[in-house]
Amino acid sequence: MTEGVMSEGLWLWLTLLAIGSTTILTRGSFILAGEKGRLPPALQRALRYAPAAALSALVMPDLLLDGGSFDPFNPKFAAGIVVVAVAVRWRNPWLPFILGMAVLLLMRKGLGW
Amino acid sequence: MESSFRRGAREGMRDFLPLSVGLVPWAVVTGIAMRSIGLSPLEAMGMNLLVYAGTAQLGTLPLIGSGAPLWLIFLTALVLNLRFVIFSAALAPVFHGHPFMRRLASSYLLVDGMFAIGAEKLHKADDPHWRWGYYIVPSLYCWALWQCCVLGGVLGAGVIPRDWSLEFMTTIALMVMMIPMLRARPMWVAALVGGLGAVLLRELPLRLGLIAGIALGIGAGFVAERALAGRAVR
Repeated sequence: MTEGVMSEGLWLWLTLLAIGSTTILTRGSFILAGEKGRLPPALQRALRYAPAAALSALVMPDLLLDGGSFDPFNPKFAAGIVVVAVAVRWRNPWLPFILGMAVLLLMRKGLGW
Repeated sequence: MESSFRRGAREGMRDFLPLSVGLVPWAVVTGIAMRSIGLSPLEAMGMNLLVYAGTAQLGTLPLIGSGAPLWLIFLTALVLNLRFVIFSAALAPVFHGHPFMRRLASSYLLVDGMFAIGAEKLHKADDPHWRWGYYIVPSLYCWALWQCCVLGGVLGAGVIPRDWSLEFMTTIALMVMMIPMLRARPMWVAALVGGLGAVLLRELPLRLGLIAGIALGIGAGFVAERALAGRAVR
């Protein structure tokens, strides 16, 4: 950028503000609309599946893709299986993180996968 | 006599507390990631306050770092946050009748975890004071925890070796959130279709595959619910 450091800083803050506006736009969409906004009951019921679908849509690509192509035999998928097993078996909230990261690092660094 | 606000707040905290621990590594990772693209500690914390949405923050960082145009960054953030339209619609009846400023604060503070643990209870409860306590106290706690832990990550960014794949902690956090939801069979279908949909549609531009996958998952869950209910009747 030629405008110099000052406007570059300003541009960054503008960018951050723009990103932040999407937080209010989306989270506030129906809550702020108040009475005016009502979803049909059928849609309302369908929306109960939103969290599970959304979380899975964020997680699965990271577990099943390796370098952009489909490959379930990768360290992250193995670590994911360990995370699920640990989270189902034990209540301790740190264990999935510790063991999941341990498996990933062991396979990547120890086995050079 | 304990007020219903406090009873709601206590139950909300009891439900949210175990989950919130999973946010800690996630927040630390976000703090480190923001510093890794060259944001100053002040800019990183500014982003954290303005955006307060881990997925949108993490998702837009590569774009900011590579100097992408503002409209693309904005659209990407919007798409990454689009799931909150769904959450907002689902929770809107809960805040029905509350003053505007409360609804604005509730909107800003609405995070995945709170929706995941609270949506059902908030809908079932009749007392608006109980609902307000149940929602706002854990949400504020979550906000404070997130800000503190991100600050920790921002300040400690230099200490942890860069090649430790710390970004995987994000995925672990999301998985830990998802597992308790998968009790009913339609939920399984929603998660499976949503996840595989996002994988198969990953080539769509602007990460729209994520949104398409979620939409497919919701639809599949709904259809599965109807199919299973129909079979039970027969």
